[in-house]
Amino acid sequence: MITIDYLLLIGAVLILISIVTSKILDNIGIPTLLLFIGVGIIAGSEGLGGIVFNDPALAQSIGIVALLFILFSGGLDTDWRESKGVSAPAMTLATAGVLLTAFIVAAFLTIVLDTPFLWSLLIASIISSTDAAAVFAVLRMGNISLKGKLKPLIELESGSNDPMAVFLTIGTIELLINPEKTILSSVLFFLQQMGFGAIVGLAGGKLMVYFINKLNFSYEGIYPVFALSLAIIIYSLTAVIGGSGFLAIYIAGLVIGNSQLIQKRALIRFFDGLAVLSQIAMFLTLGLLVFPSNLIKVLGEGLLLSAILIIIARPVSVFISLAFFKYNIREKVLISWVGLRGAVPIVLATFPLLYGISNSNMIFNLVFFVVITSSLLQGWSLNLVAKWLGLSLPYEAKKKMQLEFSNEMQRDTDIIEIIVPENSEMRGKQIVDLNFPEDSRIILIVRNDKNIVPSGGTLIEAGDILTILINKENSAAIHDIISATE
Amino acid sequence: MKLSELLSEEVIIPDLSGNTKEEVINQLIDLFKNDSRVNDIEKVRIAVMDREKVMSTGVGKGFAIPHGKTDAVKDILCAFGKSKLPIDYQSLDSQPVHLVFLLIGKDNLVSMHIKLLSRISRMMTKDSFRDKLLLAESKDDILEIFREEEKSYFEL
Repeated sequence: MITIDYLLLIGAVLILISIVTSKILDNIGIPTLLLFIGVGIIAGSEGLGGIVFNDPALAQSIGIVALLFILFSGGLDTDWRESKGVSAPAMTLATAGVLLTAFIVAAFLTIVLDTPFLWSLLIASIISSTDAAAVFAVLRMGNISLKGKLKPLIELESGSNDPMAVFLTIGTIELLINPEKTILSSVLFFLQQMGFGAIVGLAGGKLMVYFINKLNFSYEGIYPVFALSLAIIIYSLTAVIGGSGFLAIYIAGLVIGNSQLIQKRALIRFFDGLAVLSQIAMFLTLGLLVFPSNLIKVLGEGLLLSAILIIIARPVSVFISLAFFKYNIREKVLISWVGLRGAVPIVLATFPLLYGISNSNMIFNLVFFVVITSSLLQGWSLNLVAKWLGLSLPYEAKKKMQLEFSNEMQRDTDIIEIIVPENSEMRGKQIVDLNFPEDSRIILIVRNDKNIVPSGGTLIEAGDILTILINKENSAAIHDIISATE
Repeated sequence: MKLSELLSEEVIIPDLSGNTKEEVINQLIDLFKNDSRVNDIEKVRIAVMDREKVMSTGVGKGFAIPHGKTDAVKDILCAFGKSKLPIDYQSLDSQPVHLVFLLIGKDNLVSMHIKLLSRISRMMTKDSFRDKLLLAESKDDILEIFREEEKSYFEL
């Protein structure tokens, strides 16, 4: 009998191993998602761990919950100002691009492998969307950034192309199990998915901002939990009424991340952490679910499918989708190459298993194979390709808010910013020699766009901005120190 | 974000008319009277004046950087004014002020507020920059001087 204690132990140990290995192997540049899948495979029934896990329904549920947090966090982190001007090409890639990719792959599969068209289309649909988490993990790890508007474009594309792939997959499954369904009903279904998703996402995001700013919780820890529950409601409500929950949650994240919000830093941190946990949990689960011996069986077909996708379908659909936008050939080549497949296809690949589609095991294994080759080949070489095309930039860590202070509660302390004047007596002195009163502190010095954490030996310069925490009782003494001039 | 992006012709006064600290600060704040980014202009006034009480923002060499943080604005705002006549600003070096840069921060954008403050204070310590501003005649010239100077600085 497996108890909850036992499950917790296994889960936590696997997560721990994943994190530690990713830290150790940081420099090799293996995409982290592969690493987590690898840990899952090794822990699985054919690996050292011998854990038997063969429950696609559970894996799918874990995958959906994980994706929900990953997309929400991705939206929160996307700077809308950067995305200005790329929304049209990104949307074209996310809709027409995905559709083209799916049909090109399906056509090739049908011709080369002589498989039924709808069955080919099902596989093609499943692998038709790129994965935001995978793309950005790779970019960040390689310590590079991309020139111009490429990064926001790819970011927005990969964040918003999942609904299209979900729609294509479910639409194709419906056609397979229910031949009376017409193309028209599929198109209506798609419009409904996108429409409801966008509307609930926008409205939900706005409402969330309103509620968070309006409700004054006395306990700070409530905010992330409150936001969490609202986020889940946005996803599930959209899904229940027949919209794309993934699109809704991503849009809601975008809205919230680009609004003024109290506790924003705490929220972003909380969901960052949750997204990381989700990624690990999801890839571990998928690793456990796959049987390597089955992967080897589809080696030939898998390689063929990967080649069709990477070399033909993705570039062709990128070039066609962006034909009317101002991108040069090198940029289009790079966008084609950043077509990493990740979690979404694997989660989608569990759908045919659940619907009992013929050969669904083969579909699952093939999709798994494509995700692995795509992350290995494209993930590993992305930095090189970007450099080779002359489109890489040194990676700049995302700026976060460093300081948040609310002095409404505490009446006896205050935080002030002081500009050190040209002729200040503080100039050239060490902080320790300023003789500040015991309970007041210089907590931050901003100099030449840099933050300096002050210590007793830090020298003060003219033009420095000092952030000072003062006890109001001795504000007079502080005033004398900071306003003394030569 | 850059200071020169926050500035525009509407928020530059090349010939401040006041000659006391209160007058010029109010003149600059009044630029935002009908601005949709401001919820409550009086709160802005109070924030800036309160900050002045702690210590004069006339930081010497003829320039002043009045500033304050408030929740009454939707975004960070700034304005610039200059005066040929000396302004009595109770500066720390007891010299009159000719150049005034107003920065209004938003309560929950503290970090950006401090960085912009650091940026303007750093720019103003440069003699050549101050001299150019003192000689500038039109709003356009002033804007161009800010843009030119900030070219060598990073995006904040």
